[in-house]
Amino acid sequence: MLEGTTFGRTMELLQRSMDVSTMRYGVIADNIANADVPNFKRSDVNFEAALKRAIDSERYEPRMRVTATDPRHIVSSTSADWRDVRPRRVLDYLSTVKNNGNNVDAEKEFMDSLTNQLRYSMMTQAAAFEFNQVSLVLR
Amino acid sequence: MGLFSTINIAASGMTAERLRQDVIADNIANQSTTRTPEGGPFRRSRVILRPRVEQPYFRLPFLPDQWDNGAGNGVRVVEVQKDMSTETRLVYDPTHPDAIKSGPRAGYVEYPNVNIVTEMVDLIAASRAYEANAAIANGAKAMFMKALEIGR
Repeated sequence: MLEGTTFGRTMELLQRSMDVSTMRYGVIADNIANADVPNFKRSDVNFEAALKRAIDSERYEPRMRVTATDPRHIVSSTSADWRDVRPRRVLDYLSTVKNNGNNVDAEKEFMDSLTNQLRYSMMTQAAAFEFNQVSLVLR
Repeated sequence: MGLFSTINIAASGMTAERLRQDVIADNIANQSTTRTPEGGPFRRSRVILRPRVEQPYFRLPFLPDQWDNGAGNGVRVVEVQKDMSTETRLVYDPTHPDAIKSGPRAGYVEYPNVNIVTEMVDLIAASRAYEANAAIANGAKAMFMKALEIGR
């Protein structure tokens, strides 16, 4: 019913972003819980940059498009589907902050958790706003 | 990974730090104990922590999805280990009932290898780490409440 509408797209984007936000919060919690474990390496979640790249590629209009008439032809430019973008957990294995081989920086993790919380609450507000718009129409 | 698992991760960290504080309190309480059931003076204990999921340490910036076993489930205590490597403190006191009777160290009393400065520094570290985990649990709760407000 809502596929293709602005509402459906916004809700799907918000839902995915909130999902990733929850996952990133779990990763930050794990980093902080292991802040004293020797040789522990912190993890991070990459999502937003890949999502932006995928959304930008939809708008990208190539100067010259090569026509592909056969499925075996190599297409000159394809746009990535943002629905295929998955969050990736990356292990930050190269840096060392403390003498015991651990690289959890408590300040950085706290700032990350704070920005993550604010981002999440911003997205819940955006979702609530979208639902309010719909209920305004239904009234 | 849901919000409840985040709270569980923070809880595992809080449990581990609480145990560290307990062990430090035990060390400080026993800093003059010269007699133990296993013989000899009291030895300080230390807590060995490990991630609850052993992370794969492949030298790769990106892990293939089938090898990635998730972000980990917090921290766990492997063992509470007696520190036998640090030397005990020797105090000359021949009238003490636990004084060494013979040998080159006759007349000396072995006191535990508890260093009060080390213990206090560890205690501060443990209590700060406990607070950090508590703050993460509170943040997870706040996020959860925000999610419940969507339908309002």
